[in-house]
Amino acid sequence: MAHTLVVGEQAPSRRATIDPAAWIDDHGDYLYRYAMVQVRDPQVAEDLIQETMLAALQACDRFAGRCTERTWLVGILRHKIIDYYRKASRERRIDSVPLMPDDQEEVFSTTGPWAGHWKKGKGPAAWEGDPEAELEQREFWDVLKRCLEGLPPRTAHVFWMREVEGLTSEEICKELDITATNLWVILHRARMQLRRSLEQHWFGVAENKA
Amino acid sequence: MPAFQKARRRATLWLARQLPPCREITQLISESMDRKLTLRERITMRLHLKICVLCGRYLKQLMYVREAVHHHAAHLENGASPEPPSLSEEARERLKRALSDNS
Repeated sequence: MAHTLVVGEQAPSRRATIDPAAWIDDHGDYLYRYAMVQVRDPQVAEDLIQETMLAALQACDRFAGRCTERTWLVGILRHKIIDYYRKASRERRIDSVPLMPDDQEEVFSTTGPWAGHWKKGKGPAAWEGDPEAELEQREFWDVLKRCLEGLPPRTAHVFWMREVEGLTSEEICKELDITATNLWVILHRARMQLRRSLEQHWFGVAENKA
Repeated sequence: MPAFQKARRRATLWLARQLPPCREITQLISESMDRKLTLRERITMRLHLKICVLCGRYLKQLMYVREAVHHHAAHLENGASPEPPSLSEEARERLKRALSDNS
């Protein structure tokens, strides 16, 4: 390919080639899935991948093979996703707490002596079956994926940074420029919604079963 | 119901009313996964969990969701997730064109 760069004059097996077209073939789908989980919009995901590849191309002399090519590209992509959300909240003046249908009122009593406690039949149900065994089932992944997709994009992004990338609260607050209290509310709501939709769609517990 | 059980039940209900309600405890449960709770918060949460089976389930299920998401991410990584969204042929071409224009 015309834009294949050959770095160094080593034997063919050892030379480091930088081939962006191959990046797309080898890692395109993975990067796309990675971006889609967090931004949910195919057009945005594609744009972010393009920006990632261009940035990678400019910085390829700094890629010294310290990690795999994929890890390196993902590292760039995660920063592009963070930038995207930062920019989005500046431009659209989105409140830093994402607007999410607040299901708190639906599951917790609002009046009476037991206000704030679980409403009858709305609390977590006992999950039937063996949750550990479910983890091995392909269908389960499909359902979990759809439950994750049900989260608002910003929430999904924050949740992903915390749970999958394993960043600490301080790191996330710094990267996204939000307060810790704000972050914990977002995570709390994300977990509450995920737990609930997993219960509804997988553990198959009908609501209102006291 | 024997008198002992009645008294025990009354005590439980009394304690439940002294502690913050489930709505606040679920927030604490979630935060316990992100930061170290203060001693006071830990005691509050423990006491509430002693008497509230629903919040006990909630905690257990949140830990399960965490584990499931970790597994899910690992699946994503090795490409084993079912029906993976993938780049369309056109998107691939667009990307390759953009890259060759810029390199």
